[in-house]
Amino acid sequence: MSSAILMRNLAKTYGMVVAVEDLSLAVPKGSMFGFLGPNGSGKSTTIGCLTGLLDPSAGEMEILGERFTAESADLKRRMGVMPETLGLFEPLYAHEFLAFVARMFGLDEATTRTRVTELLAALELTDTRKTLAEFSTGMRKRVAFAAAVIHSPEVLFLDEPFESIDPAGVALMKQWLRRFTEQGRTVFITSHVLETVERLCTAVAIITKPGKLVWQGDITVLANEGSIQYEGQEFHALEPLFLHLTGQHYADLNWL
Amino acid sequence: MNLELLGNLLRLRYRLIWAKTRSRNGKIALFMAGYLLLIAAFGALAAGGLGAGAIAVRAGKATQIAAGVLFGVYLCATIGTVILGFGMNAIFAESEMRRYPLRARERRLARHIVAMLDLYWYLVVGLDLGLLAGLYLYGAGFFWLGLLAVLLLYVCNYVTARVVSTIVERLVARRGGSILLMAAIMVLSLGPSFLMPYLQKHPHAVGPYLAWGKWTPPYGAALAMTRGDLSAVWGLGLILLWTALLGAAMVALEQWPVRARVASSGKLQWASRYERVGAFLGPQNAILIGQWLRFFSRNNRFRMMYPLSLPLVGFLVYALTRQTGMAHGPKVEFASAMGAYAIVGFIGTAQFAVNQFGYVGSGLRRYLLLPADPAVALRSCSYTFALLNMVLIVVGLVVWPFLSRGEFDPLMMVLLAGCSLTGMFLYLTAGLWVSLLAARRGNYYSSFGNDLSFAGNVILIGAMMALVFLPRVAAESWPDMFRSGYWWVTLAAAAVAAGIYWMSLERASVWFRARRERLLAIMEGRS
Repeated sequence: MSSAILMRNLAKTYGMVVAVEDLSLAVPKGSMFGFLGPNGSGKSTTIGCLTGLLDPSAGEMEILGERFTAESADLKRRMGVMPETLGLFEPLYAHEFLAFVARMFGLDEATTRTRVTELLAALELTDTRKTLAEFSTGMRKRVAFAAAVIHSPEVLFLDEPFESIDPAGVALMKQWLRRFTEQGRTVFITSHVLETVERLCTAVAIITKPGKLVWQGDITVLANEGSIQYEGQEFHALEPLFLHLTGQHYADLNWL
Repeated sequence: MNLELLGNLLRLRYRLIWAKTRSRNGKIALFMAGYLLLIAAFGALAAGGLGAGAIAVRAGKATQIAAGVLFGVYLCATIGTVILGFGMNAIFAESEMRRYPLRARERRLARHIVAMLDLYWYLVVGLDLGLLAGLYLYGAGFFWLGLLAVLLLYVCNYVTARVVSTIVERLVARRGGSILLMAAIMVLSLGPSFLMPYLQKHPHAVGPYLAWGKWTPPYGAALAMTRGDLSAVWGLGLILLWTALLGAAMVALEQWPVRARVASSGKLQWASRYERVGAFLGPQNAILIGQWLRFFSRNNRFRMMYPLSLPLVGFLVYALTRQTGMAHGPKVEFASAMGAYAIVGFIGTAQFAVNQFGYVGSGLRRYLLLPADPAVALRSCSYTFALLNMVLIVVGLVVWPFLSRGEFDPLMMVLLAGCSLTGMFLYLTAGLWVSLLAARRGNYYSSFGNDLSFAGNVILIGAMMALVFLPRVAAESWPDMFRSGYWWVTLAAAAVAAGIYWMSLERASVWFRARRERLLAIMEGRS
């Protein structure tokens, strides 16, 4: 299967601080790919590089078989992004914001109107008297999600998409994402909710600080009550594997 | 009263100022600001204080002269806070302060004390102290009473500025409020100019106007500075009375709930008038310019500043041409008009043009995700300002025949249009670079406060000061250069300025791409 996203020796440094180090990764086309790591491990930085927000310090990136840089406007048109900081224009109304994004991604006015109306209704964002600044965090997240999918992209980058969204919203988004990959499109997703990733994704990559890949593989076996073998150990769920790989341990505070 | 927490908040305010010096630019800015402040304070001490003292001794009118100087400082400080937002940065919003165990009264007190300790007010107090020192040195002042008066006047001045600002803020937030405000500003700014000829013809009518001045806080302070008798006590009492009245008004205004504008209909509105306006600069820019227009049209500060620039322009043109012309002759009037019309070219968007992304926040990220050259955000924003300024230039030219003296000269219109376009292109060019190299995160929802970087303030204030004073100096030095026959020179200057702007757009776009990560960090509050 060809790769929708390909990174070769990707690195990103801020002065002396290394955020991502020599990261190589291939994400198969049509997959729901989970990109996991502890806080500050470089997930958002990697997504930033893959979406043109940041310039990598070294390495190469390919999206849908083409070399990707921040200037790749044609490729960007085929990508949808939901950044961690949502990137909304707060004084706008949801429909104005979505219409702006749709028009910038090349949709004509009639299609824009149809899709905006349908998305607002589907995501229950019909309160048109509130600007985005007046929306709750969950509703703002829904708007950012709608902006990422409005132009039917071939590759979708979602940075922590389910945080702050209510269960009904999460269920709807999951349903859409499954249909998305069934059509051969690719979803690249970061999340700290490992149960959700385990149920939703077909493959994951786990990185540790500073943006170093420690494991990549198929996790569909976990959904079929199977297990993953690693260093002679058997893992029946993603969480123990994640904790084992990232070496996470928490101090016990007596006064707490 | 939780004094410990209040003290902590005050310390935090200065720690935040100091934290800005962690960046190289911040260090330079702080040094320069401090240095300029010192020079300004010194100049004020020497010129204002000693000069007024000397005049007072010679003329025997210490109280009247001191009152006049103090009134000027008082008025300038109030206007400076309302128009330029100096000394009004709250630092701590009410919602932030509610996190701490402070009562409402303590929160209010902390907020105002923090605002009063802004560097801007130090300058105002410095000017007042300069006057006191001058009066004292020349033997016409009472130091301790005067010092008390200066401190009380400082508090009163702050409260006045806060009341005026809050009224303006509330007006702007209401439907039709901007128009009401504009009318008030026009009356206040143009009224005295139109009243002047009447008062010159009827000097006996001046008396009642001046009598009112004796009931103002600056007059009270002047009494305390120059008299050692009961009238000094009366002066201090007058300031206290004003402070109490204005303080009560301030508390009442702050407790008066803000009526937010709400949409009148729950239906989706697909208004595309912004895009239609944006299409004036080409269909490829229509959506982005439309987006910027929509963005700014909902900003309280923009809604206040842009319409206000119209009466301000009228006032500038009137004050710089007719009055200056009457006093210094037609050549100076001619040169002043050129300076005033160059200001017309950028005044409407001046605050925003030198900090283009200051109010976008994480929205800047969205521009970078668009399937276009990342620098398109920079260029489209600058085009938007050009479009908005063009409107003011046209309005300015339309009102010129009504403001000018003598016969109508069509060449003069061409010449002034050239001046406006030159001013606009050069200011927008400076704005591009300052927005890139000295960007600062602002608060979109605040109507007041100066969100500009040091470089932004230098460009904004420097450009206006230069255009007010330099043409007059030039006209007095080279009077033959100023006549409408040279109309083509300003058009050529406009063409050169447009060329510089065009080249800067290209060059700044390259810089924008290279600096976008830094800009993103600033706008998202990570730097």
